[in-house]
Amino acid sequence: MVHAGAARAILAGMQRIYLDNAASTPLSPAVREAMEPFLGESFGNPSAAHRLGVEAAAAIDAARELVAKATGSRASEVVFTSGGTEANNLAVLGGSRARKELGRHLIVGPTEHASVRKAALALEDEGFEVEFARLDAEGALDLDHFAELLRPDTVLVAQMLVSNEFGSVYPVRQLARLTRARAPHALVHVDAVQGLGKRELSLGELGCDTLSVSAHKVHGPKGTGALIVRDGVQLAPILHGGPQERGLRAGTENPAGIAGFGRAAADAAAARPATIARFTRMRARFCELLDRLPGAKLLEPGTPRQEIMPGIITTFLPGVPASVRLHHLDQAGVLASAGAACNAKRKDVNPALLAAGLDAEDSRRVLRFSLASSTTDEELDAALRVIEVVHQQLQAVRS
Amino acid sequence: MTNFDASAPEMVLVRYGELALKGKNRGMFEQALIRNMRSACASISPLRVEQRRGRITVIPERRVGDVARRLQDVFGIKTVSPAWGAEPTPEAIAEIARLVLADALLDYPPGVEIPFRVRSSRSEKRFPLTSVELDQFVAPRALEGVSNVKVDLKHPELTLGIEVRTERAYVFVKRLPGPGGLPGGTLGRVLCLLSGGIDSPVAAWLAMKRGCHVDFVTFHSYPYIGEASKQKVVALVRALSRFQAECRLFVLPFTEVQEAIRDNAPPPYRTVLYRRMMQRLASRIAQAQRMKALVTGESLGQVASQTLENMACIGAAAELPVIRPLSCYDKEEAIEIARRIGTFELSTLPEPDCCTVFMPPKAVIKGRLDVCEESEALLDVEGLVERSLAGVEVIDVAG
Repeated sequence: MVHAGAARAILAGMQRIYLDNAASTPLSPAVREAMEPFLGESFGNPSAAHRLGVEAAAAIDAARELVAKATGSRASEVVFTSGGTEANNLAVLGGSRARKELGRHLIVGPTEHASVRKAALALEDEGFEVEFARLDAEGALDLDHFAELLRPDTVLVAQMLVSNEFGSVYPVRQLARLTRARAPHALVHVDAVQGLGKRELSLGELGCDTLSVSAHKVHGPKGTGALIVRDGVQLAPILHGGPQERGLRAGTENPAGIAGFGRAAADAAAARPATIARFTRMRARFCELLDRLPGAKLLEPGTPRQEIMPGIITTFLPGVPASVRLHHLDQAGVLASAGAACNAKRKDVNPALLAAGLDAEDSRRVLRFSLASSTTDEELDAALRVIEVVHQQLQAVRS
Repeated sequence: MTNFDASAPEMVLVRYGELALKGKNRGMFEQALIRNMRSACASISPLRVEQRRGRITVIPERRVGDVARRLQDVFGIKTVSPAWGAEPTPEAIAEIARLVLADALLDYPPGVEIPFRVRSSRSEKRFPLTSVELDQFVAPRALEGVSNVKVDLKHPELTLGIEVRTERAYVFVKRLPGPGGLPGGTLGRVLCLLSGGIDSPVAAWLAMKRGCHVDFVTFHSYPYIGEASKQKVVALVRALSRFQAECRLFVLPFTEVQEAIRDNAPPPYRTVLYRRMMQRLASRIAQAQRMKALVTGESLGQVASQTLENMACIGAAAELPVIRPLSCYDKEEAIEIARRIGTFELSTLPEPDCCTVFMPPKAVIKGRLDVCEESEALLDVEGLVERSLAGVEVIDVAG
């Protein structure tokens, strides 16, 4: 019998080990420094003509350059928003409405974030028809099915780049090419919130029209994101008011958030090769642990046809439900999350889980551990030991 | 020119129901009611309170409209009427009456004829007109230029009230409903077992309505359930503090109790045995705090543990009378109240409570007390009770 205290003792000097970076990341010191002037002395409205306004506007321009570089776009293509949700809403609602004379058919990816899915469904009230792409039996995006969905009156296609649930990297480029051929009026939107700093982002390479990113997934502040809108692509604004952000996003800009985002995006992009190498190594360590735990599985739907972003490690751990295991891990100092796919209230099991051979009951036992470029080897070592000890503890109790 | 601001009444007339009938105790009930009114409004304004002939007049220093709204939540109050003041002359009263009526008529759609009357009362008998004469003087003047109102003395929908006093006269037309019941605290103190579900907050509110001062106990099984479950219960107590200015929540650790029951008792009896331990623990706290009864949200037949047999088994472990305000309510009726008192949205947040921990596949429907007692003979009941009580956390919530 393992003592409850045993798991807690592993952390020794460490306060906690944070492995929920797909949900949010800690602010980096460099980002905080970039933000500070605009939380203090430099409080001007960026639209103002006086020196404080000019200062704030200059900071926004500089950040715009950095975000453009990190996303493979031009500064003129960056529209700052309040985050990923607003960026997705602007693309889906604004892109569809601007094309409503050309058609009213939308195609939404099978695992899109609610801010894409629900925005699209909200358009049903405006006479749009929404269809969903699907995953195939192996959990990869079903491109044949997708191609069948495309129609001449399709005006918007939305597909995420990196799955927040499994780290799956979807074949966005192929999807964009299929779309161009069969639905020439369609706007191709890519939610790249989990891709920034992990995949090379480029409007040209991905072949998309709009791309959403968020600051707080890359050590930036919450409340700031951007929609990259390829030059010449028409969108209808969803917020009406002043002329900020080329009229696409009314409202006084958030200079502190934007300055922080610029720094965060640049740092994330620069560190990307090192980050991915580190993630790959750490993922392998995780796999070694899972091999030791009977019945445990690493969930990698769609591989090897689809790549996996190695920083999101989604696991099936047999035994108690994920929520119970999470509280035990939390008590021992390791912070993770239940798989987003594993909402017990949702009746239909995520197809990616079915593909991995899991049923509805199993889906309540899926945990997601997500890494950051700041995760250290010592932290990972300790976390793996905690996960193992907690597992033994939970196996020891009769359920 | 008369100074009239429709949004700024001068005082609030409070009518109370049942407690006026309570013979010798009436004074005590009235004092409690006034005390509760003052504490309910403490954060809004000090109150000058006058009491006469089954009515209470409240003259706040400021924010009279907010005071009226707040008083609608005070138990014992049947209706409240915000009232506007006038010089105690027939002409001044008629002028204010006209303005008050015109404002009240804004709530009605045009083109519907509203039966109406004036009803005056005088405590100043030297006033030049009798009550009936004042009615007759005011009615035609108040109705000047008004087309959608007809006088109907027998069945008025809208009654314009006038109270004439020596120094001032008051005019009112709205009668806003209070909750009724008895003034909080007049029946003594009770302890409510709060789970986080829909029923127990409603049960607490009903007990408050019948004059009980209610404090709360909840049971927490960290790390099988998370901190968020506890915060949900705290949020419910905060919502209920709208009706009782000071609420105390006792949080008892319940993990060890549940583990002991899981390891030693027949699985189908787990839920019944959990609840028996809860009754025991709650009884101990209540006795130590000189509370006179327990309150639960149990409702006959609503879930498997709430059969007559199981309720008998559970109730047998209580060491104080158990009040079950919802025992004969339908779920819909409880939900209706929960919505009205603002606890429904909180109760339906998807956080598990400790009853879900180690849920057996099959729970006993017709529990037997002898089986409960035999199972508990295998447990160190006293030790479990003492250790749980030793870990109590007390959270005070002020409304």
